[in-house]
Amino acid sequence: MPMELQTFRTNGNDERVTASNGDSVVDMPDGAAAAAETDGLLQMQSNGCNGGAMPANHAAKIQRDPEITNNTKESCVYRVRRELTEVVCESKSAKCKITLWMIIALVISLIVVVIIISVAVCSAIHKDPDESFDPSLFKVPVYFDGSFQLPNLVFTDELLTLSSNESQALATGFQEKLADLYRSSPALGRYFSKAKINSFRNGPVMADYQLNFLIPEEGQDQLRNFTLSREMVYNVFRQFLYDQEPNESEPMYIDPVSLKMVVRH
Amino acid sequence: MILWHCLALLLLITVQTCTAQRCDEFTDLDLSHAIIGTSLKVRLLLYTRDNVTCGTLMSHTNLSAHPQFNSSRPTTFVIHGYRPTGSPPIWLDNIKEMLLVRKDMNVIVVDWNYGAANVNYFKAVDNTHKTADNLTAFIKKMQEHGASLSSIHMIGVSLGAHISGFVGANLDGLIGRITALDPAGPQFTGTTPDKRLDVTDAKFVDVLHTDIDALGFRAPLGHIDFYANGGTDQPGCPKTIFSGSSYFKCDHQRSVNLYLDSLNRTCASKVFPCDSYKDFLDGKCLDCDRFGDAGCPVFGYDVTQWKDVLLRLNQTKTYFTTNSDSPFCMTSYRLEVVTWNQDVRRGYMTVKLHGNGEVAVATIDHKAAEFKRYTETKLFAQFDKDIQSVKKMSLKFSSGEALKPKHKLRLLRIRLTHLERKERPLCRYDILLEQNKEVTFRPLPCEESNF
Repeated sequence: MPMELQTFRTNGNDERVTASNGDSVVDMPDGAAAAAETDGLLQMQSNGCNGGAMPANHAAKIQRDPEITNNTKESCVYRVRRELTEVVCESKSAKCKITLWMIIALVISLIVVVIIISVAVCSAIHKDPDESFDPSLFKVPVYFDGSFQLPNLVFTDELLTLSSNESQALATGFQEKLADLYRSSPALGRYFSKAKINSFRNGPVMADYQLNFLIPEEGQDQLRNFTLSREMVYNVFRQFLYDQEPNESEPMYIDPVSLKMVVRH
Repeated sequence: MILWHCLALLLLITVQTCTAQRCDEFTDLDLSHAIIGTSLKVRLLLYTRDNVTCGTLMSHTNLSAHPQFNSSRPTTFVIHGYRPTGSPPIWLDNIKEMLLVRKDMNVIVVDWNYGAANVNYFKAVDNTHKTADNLTAFIKKMQEHGASLSSIHMIGVSLGAHISGFVGANLDGLIGRITALDPAGPQFTGTTPDKRLDVTDAKFVDVLHTDIDALGFRAPLGHIDFYANGGTDQPGCPKTIFSGSSYFKCDHQRSVNLYLDSLNRTCASKVFPCDSYKDFLDGKCLDCDRFGDAGCPVFGYDVTQWKDVLLRLNQTKTYFTTNSDSPFCMTSYRLEVVTWNQDVRRGYMTVKLHGNGEVAVATIDHKAAEFKRYTETKLFAQFDKDIQSVKKMSLKFSSGEALKPKHKLRLLRIRLTHLERKERPLCRYDILLEQNKEVTFRPLPCEESNF
């Protein structure tokens, strides 16, 4: 690897001196070059300590007294140390000494603590605008009608008359099931008002149901088109039915394929 | 006397079997050759279904000396690239065997290792022209023996891609097909078409790019150009120099591995025509209508099925993504999301598909997607494997911001559409996604939608 050779002049001497890696000195006339080299090293160190950029041609500049660069390195480290351990205030009674580095450490840790606290507070007091709503504004009704099949149910005449005990119990069961399902829906829950079983029919056993929702007047068109669209209300029901385990003996089992729904206008 | 006869016969048989068993191998050089430098010597090794593993060194002039060489069969040339260490390419055995499984053909491995093995890359570049002249003369001999130019396919890797181009140009672009696997960039980028591979060099030119930011060629060169993973950094390749030599060659080498996967029919990667990789990742280039019923082309050996339409389109730039290992192909889905959050949310989505005891994962994180209320956000989801029947699906939303309060993403509907199989999309409604929390559910076949 060829090294870049630096040439510099010795004190007052016009002889050219070539140094390779600072180790060998060629054409040295009287030892002055060696002195110059030592100066060069010292100069370099003092520059490094001050944090300044080391000039490339520093060697050319040191045509000076060697005493100039005396002990600069030591004094620099020493000064920083001395300043850090400087006693800022002294209390005689408590025998405590507050030094500069203590204050610096304190300030830094304070900043970190403030950041952590503010982040914690921020996330704690953060209010999700989607979770706050005013139910008193929900006035406009939206209705859905539909039917589903109950394949595990054996039809009895009692079911036909809605006032009978059997059909009453069954209707209440389904109404609760529907209400639970829609109330727990993140998107539809707040608008849900009522689910009702209107009648049972024969054939395979069918149930006719009705869903009532209440929505605010403001932005009702968008709600009808998206959140309370037939697609949404229907599929929330449908995916609930698909999620249930098909149980042959469960009388309340609803056949997912048989689910029908329309919007009442 | 009888003993002599027997011995003579035995000797003859031994000589026969010995000559039959002698296989010609690819020139194996070492680093010392590369440092000293090698002068060009082009050797042609013939492999057919009769001698799949045992090569025959072909004469450049006397083709009738090789009974295995049948000029009525199609001929595929395999041309390697720069060999800085002089070692034979490790993929040679695989490619010739797979080619012979595909079709009954003559596979000619062009061994120009003497010439390519040189630490001085510029010398190797010089030798590409000489190699091409040599091959041109050989192909003209083949023509005299009744071979047709259109049945010739040249597969060139790196510098070999440009050699194929020069040969093609010498033969007025009448060669059937040139496949370029990451054509070399240095010394070729920015040159005129006669000094590199270009689209006029063969009747059909297909080009794979895997290292356009270093050893490969950036600009499109063929009728179809495939940019794997954008053509820059390949998944699974080292990102720092600490990994040694593979840092330099991994991306470049990947082109051969991808091609072998397609040749072997390990799996098929659909490619999508697009102007930029960014648009491709954004899912803006999923339209395959211009290819008609066949849909978007499939990368690799079988892209010839789209040859007619690609020739009509003149030049097509396509993109696809790969896994970090074989099987390289990914499965593409379109994911459409409608949300009802009042505020706009931004973030990344991780989707998992479960089925048949397997899990496929797609991370959509090339940039933060924007979710606006009642607006459909289209995302391009690339899964590491194909799940035939999806039983369950998981979603995870993350904003990538550690210091902000945890937002929730409220979905009205998600719809997942397979981009290759024509099957009903999968839907799920009404999902609440908390940040960094995975939600698993069972998707339903979608019904017709009105929003």
